[in-house]
This record gives sequence, C-alpha cells and structure tokens, in this order.
Amino acid sequence: MASFIKARDVSLVFKSKDRQPVTALSNFSLDIAHGEFVSIVGPSGCGKSSFLNILLGLIRPGNGEIHLNGTRITGPGQERAMVFQEFGLLPWRTVTANVELGLELKGIAPAQRAERATELIKLVGLTGFESHYPHELSGGMKQRVGLARALATEPEVLLMDEPFAALDAQTRDLMQMELLQIWERTKKTVLFVTHSIEEAAYLSDRVIVMTARPGRTKDILKIDLPRPRDYEMRLTPEFNDLKLHIWEVLKEELTSRG
Amino acid sequence: MAAREYFTEHRRLWLGLCSFFFLVAAWELVLTYIVPVNPFFFTKPSLIADAFKEQIQSAKLWHDLAVSSQAFLWGFSFAVIVGIPVGLVMGWRRRVEYSLDPFLTALYASPLVALAPLFIIVFGVGVLGKAALVFLLAVFPFVFNAFAGVKSTDSLLINVIRSFGGREKDLYLKVILPSTMPYIIAGARLAIGRGLVGIIVGEFYAASEGIGFAILQAGDTYRLPDMFVGIIILSLIAVGLTELMRKLELMVAPWRASDEAR
Amino acid sequence: MKLKNFYTEHESFILGTGFIVFLLILWESIPLWYTLPKGMALFFTTPSDIAAAFHRLLLNGELEKHFYVSAIAFLAGLGLSIVVGLPLGLVMGRSATLDALLDPYVTASNATPRIVFLPLLILWFGIGIWSKIAIVFVGAVFPLLINTYVGVKNVNQVLVNVVRSFGASEWQLMKIVVLPNSVPYIIAGLRLAIGRAILGVVVGEFFGSSQGLGYMIASAATNYKVDVVFVGVAIFMALSVILTLAVKQLESRLASWRPETAKTF
Ligand SMILES: Nc1ncnc2c1ncn2[C@@H]1O[C@H](COP(=O)(O)OP(=O)(O)O)[C@@H](O)[C@H]1O
Ligand SMILES: [Mg+2]
Repeated sequence: MASFIKARDVSLVFKSKDRQPVTALSNFSLDIAHGEFVSIVGPSGCGKSSFLNILLGLIRPGNGEIHLNGTRITGPGQERAMVFQEFGLLPWRTVTANVELGLELKGIAPAQRAERATELIKLVGLTGFESHYPHELSGGMKQRVGLARALATEPEVLLMDEPFAALDAQTRDLMQMELLQIWERTKKTVLFVTHSIEEAAYLSDRVIVMTARPGRTKDILKIDLPRPRDYEMRLTPEFNDLKLHIWEVLKEELTSRG
Repeated sequence: MAAREYFTEHRRLWLGLCSFFFLVAAWELVLTYIVPVNPFFFTKPSLIADAFKEQIQSAKLWHDLAVSSQAFLWGFSFAVIVGIPVGLVMGWRRRVEYSLDPFLTALYASPLVALAPLFIIVFGVGVLGKAALVFLLAVFPFVFNAFAGVKSTDSLLINVIRSFGGREKDLYLKVILPSTMPYIIAGARLAIGRGLVGIIVGEFYAASEGIGFAILQAGDTYRLPDMFVGIIILSLIAVGLTELMRKLELMVAPWRASDEAR
Repeated sequence: MKLKNFYTEHESFILGTGFIVFLLILWESIPLWYTLPKGMALFFTTPSDIAAAFHRLLLNGELEKHFYVSAIAFLAGLGLSIVVGLPLGLVMGRSATLDALLDPYVTASNATPRIVFLPLLILWFGIGIWSKIAIVFVGAVFPLLINTYVGVKNVNQVLVNVVRSFGASEWQLMKIVVLPNSVPYIIAGLRLAIGRAILGVVVGEFFGSSQGLGYMIASAATNYKVDVVFVGVAIFMALSVILTLAVKQLESRLASWRPETAKTF
C-alpha cells in the first residue's frame, strides 16, 4: 500500500503548570492510502484529538514526524482541513461568511468566494439558509456548515474529530449517509475520529483501535463491506460481527484503566 | 535548575514583582541622578517612604482614617439595611418591580455625586453629610444585585423543592437565599468602590479632617510625599476591601468559582 | 373592559411612569400641606421652580456655555481612554508577558477610586480643561482596558484553532476572531466608562474648574440656589440615561448574531 499519509513514532507530552506532565501520544505510527476512509476509535483522553491537531499542523509533536504525500508537515496547509466536534463556527458570521472563511484567508476574490460558497452550501443541503447566523441553526445544520467550510478550500485530506458526537441519533444517521455520498463523489482521504464503534464500522475502509493513554495503535481492522453502503447494511449479521470484534479489542483498553 | 523551574511556574508573579521594583528603582534613580526633582511638582519613592514612616507614627493619620471610616460605615450600613430589602421585594413582587425599576435605574445610571455640594450644605461637613452621600451612592448596587439575585433563581430548582414537599421556608432557605447571596456580595464590592468615592468627594468638598481632606491639604501645601502616602493608603484599603469581597464571594458560592471576571 | 386590557398590556410602563409622576406631584405639593421651618426652606425647591430655573438659564445662554465646556472635557477624556485602553487591553490579552508586567498597576488602579488622584492632577495640569480631561481619562480607561482584556481572554479556543488551521497569521486571527469576540465586552466596558467619565467631569469641575456644569452646581450650592443645583443634576441624569440607552442600542445593533437572551450582561 502506498501511503499518502505516513506518521512515524509520533510522541507528544503536555507539560502543564501545576500538574504532572501528560504523555498524550507515544510512538504512534500510521499509514493511510490516498482516497481511503480511516476511522480511529479509542478510550477518551488517549490522544486522538491531539493527533489530529498535529496532522492539521496546529501543534508540533515532541518526537517523530508526519509526511503527507512525501512532504513533512510543519504547519497548517491547504491540503488539510478539519471538521470540529464543537462546530467551531464564528457566531458573528452568517452561514455564507463562515463557509468562505478558508477562501478568504487564502486571498480568493470575493466574487469567486461567493460562487464557491453557494456551490458548497448546495452540496450540504443548506440552500436557503445562506444569511442565517449559527445560533439560528440546529446542531445538524451547524455541522453541515462546518463540513462545507472544510470542503471549500478543496483539501485532499479531511480530518474529522468526532464531528457528529453532539448530534441526536437520527440527525447523526442522516449526516453519516450524506458524508458517505460526498466522500464517494469527491474522493477525499478522510481520517475520522469517533467514539461510536457502529459509526466507525459503517463509514470506514479501516478502523484503527488505539490503546489507553499514552495512545498507540492497538489493532487495525479492515472493513471489507461492499460500497456503496446503506442503512440496511447495518442490520446484517456480518456488520454485527464486525462491531463485536472491534468492541472486544477496545474493551480491554477501557477496562485496563478502571 | 530547581530555581529555574520555580521561576517558570510562578512566572507571572515574578514578572509582576520585577516590573514593580524596576519601576520604583527607575523612578528613584532618574529623579536622583538625571532630572533633579522639583519638590513642588513631583517626588520620588525614597521621600514617599520617609513620609510614610513618619505618618504611620503620627496620630493624625489614624485620626483621619477613623473619621473617614466612621462616616463610611454609617452610610454603608444604611445602604445594606435599605438596599437589600428593597431589592428583594422588587424581585418578589412584579408590581413593585414595575413601579420602582425605571426610577431607580435612572438614579443608578446618574452621577449622583453631583448632589455632593447640596448634601454637604444641608447635612453639614461632619459625619452626617458624608454618610448621607455614601448611602446615596452605595445603596443602588445592593438594590439591583439583590433584585438580580432573586430574579436569577432557577424556577426548576423551586419546582424540585416543591416536588419533594418543601414549604415556603425551605424555598427561601434552600434556593432563593443561596442563589441571591453571591449577587449581594458582588453588589457589596461595587458599593465599596462607590462609597469610597462618596467619602473622598465629600472630604474634598468640605471637611477639616479625614483621609480625603488630608490628601487635599497635602496638595494645597505642596507636600507631595504626604499626598502620595494618602493616595497609597487609600489604594491599599480599596484593594484590601475588594479582595476581601472576592474571597467572601468564593466562600459563599464556591460553585461559581470565578466564571465572572467583572 | 377595554381599559383593563390596555392596563395589563402596558402595566410595566404605566406603573413605572406613574410612580415617577406621583413622586414629582408629591414633591411639588409639599409646600401646600406643610410649612417648612425657616432653616429648611432655604434648601428647598420644587420641580416647577427647577423647570423655571432651567428655562431662565437656557434663555440667558448660561446653560449652553457650561454644557459646552463639560462636553469637551467628557469627549476628549473618553476618546483618549478609548484610544489607549482598547489597544492596551487587546495586547495584554494576547501577550502573557505584557499581562504579567502590567497587571499589578492595572489591578491596583482599578480597585482604587480614581477620584483620589484629582488633587495631584490639578497640581500637575492646573485648573482648567487639562486636569479635567486627565481625571476623565483615568476614570474611564480602566473599565475599557479590563473589559477588552477579558473579551480577548474569553475567546473560544476552538475558534482560534479553526482560524489557525486555515493558516491565518496573528494579525488575521486578531481581526477575524479575537476582536469580534471582544465587541460585546468592549461595549459593556464603554457603558461603564461613560459613567466614570461623567463622574470625572462632575467632580473635576467641582474643584478644578471655573466653568462647566459641575462648576455651576458647586457654585449654586454655595449660594443656596438649590433650583440651579437641581437643574445641573437633572441634566447630568438625563445625559447619563440617554448615553446608556444609546450604548444599549449600539450593543443590539452590533450583536444581531447573538441569541436574544445573551444580549444583556
Ligand atoms: N492543551 C493541553 N494541555 C494539557 N494537557 C492536554 C492538552 N490537550 C490535551 N491534553 C491531555 O492530553 C490527553 C489527550 O487528549 P486528547 O488528544 O484531547 O484526547 P482524546 O481526543 O483522545 O479524548 C488528555 O489526557 C488530555 O487531558
Ligand atoms: Mg477528543
């Protein structure tokens, strides 16, 4: 497998003022192919968000390095964009202005920005809400804006940090389906962090299970279910076997810490 | 190594102290060696320190402080006694709220200190005039904070108490009082600041004793070190009382921690 | 029946204005049912006397003259405090070092009633406009500085990360996240600062001026012209209320992106 994203021995220690240093990641390695959809599951606090932030270029690892398409990551870049669990929408900007954020920082002219924003707002199904403010939107709609904003700059890699965790169950199911459709259409490489085993199994080509803190790769499971996948697939015995398998791997980590 | 780690951990504190000592040293050195100090216009830390030592030992300073404190305490106590009940009633009775709110809000927003000359003339330059001014300025934070405290009481909590068979008394003791107390103490913090303004302005305006008068008189006779001593002492009192209120706020409402910066 | 509906719909307005009207009538009527002793009559005035005094001062141009002087000191001092307090608050919020270096002075100055500096400022700047501007400035600058600082500190870290992840520079971060986030705080600071500035004008003119509304009040009080005192007080009250309402207006104008419940704080 030719790896598009290649992480080698990434370690990260948080030194904080009045507490012990926290080792968030220790020798974490991973390879992701171009166009692949990979999920990470792991106990909370094992360093998943930290890893995504390193990949995004917001924090520097203490040790190890990450390469994207052969180039070492040293800071934020256009080829990567993140969808945040807390949405991260600027509350004083309308939907359109939020979607335009990345384009604006890239220095794209207003007319082109607006055109591209309209396109993406349509893609995520928010046409008609262009001039709404975030507080006027439901959780699901907010995350659609977050997704549109991330896609607007045409990144090659989409990083998603528990993007649907704050949504209710039905909205979540709907968003998962739409994400798959968009992924199949745009062929992005996706790294998706989630707490939900079901979500990981349903969306991914591979699921990485991490150990408890300090986070390391515990196991990598290939999900050989046919695509395109639909909701009914989630009711099949094969799917349930997969879930059970992931759960068994994960369970040891959840209980090892008490 | 250990020292270095200690420094990085308490960096903020050390930087603050360094900045303070650096400023004092620079002030002293500049006025000693570079620009000769014009004693009618400016002064320097060593002279202030001398004046401070002298004043602490003199009976006059303590007398002035006692005079000012007396007026402050009278005014402040009446502000508590009047302000809190009015605020509570406003919070409980909708019609009282409707009637009093615009009137009191307008007064609260106004620089009532403008009434100082009148108060001093009507009530005299002694304790009464100053206490009346302190009362006038300090009463509103108590009114409005007690009011806001009652209003902020979570109606869900009231229902919870009711659902467990709680009586009126329980409502007051277990819900309304605990949620109103922090507001009242925050109000007291504001009231202290406003009350001090009352004392100072009152004593600037017309007095023959008191800390405000001492500052003014030092200025009038160009005794700058004494004036700085007065300002520093008042500043220490103000900082001390404000900090005390913050501590008290944390004590009665540890669950609120410091989520409010203002 | 209709009347009752009208009442319940406008109850707060009717009770609020009713109470004020009631107080005014009560005040006006005191001389009708109570003969004041000689000593007290000297300090007594009625709303109608105050209105008459207002009319008189307006016609002879005295009010305009004093108002103009006070307004200049107010605007200059407040303007200066915005120009200094706002950038300083922003920088202190973003730089931990500068914050640590300046914090002792800011905290101590903020807790101290700034009015104690008046004799010192009069000594330095003399009687007149400059000492007034100075006292207005030291009164108004800290609420602005501190509120701006708190606004910067309270910026949501997720938003900072979002904007950074798109490769924003520190300057862009300031413009896109930090400053807009601070706007409500700055406006709350402005509201406080206006109150402090008016206080500075009043007290500054009591002592350090021979003109202005504060001076008018002080000199009227010395001459037992109680009606003129109240004219001055009423003008300051009206200005404070109007400015407070104007800032509230500005607040809701600038904060259309916020849910209704969060608008006041
Ligand atoms: N900025 C930080 N400072 C100190 N510790 C942090 C910081 N960010 C995260 N941590 C700690 O690092 C560990 C990993 O955090 P995180 O990556 O957010 O975990 P996850 O996303 O897997 O739940 C946690 O124990 C967390 O408390
Ligand atoms: Mg996380």
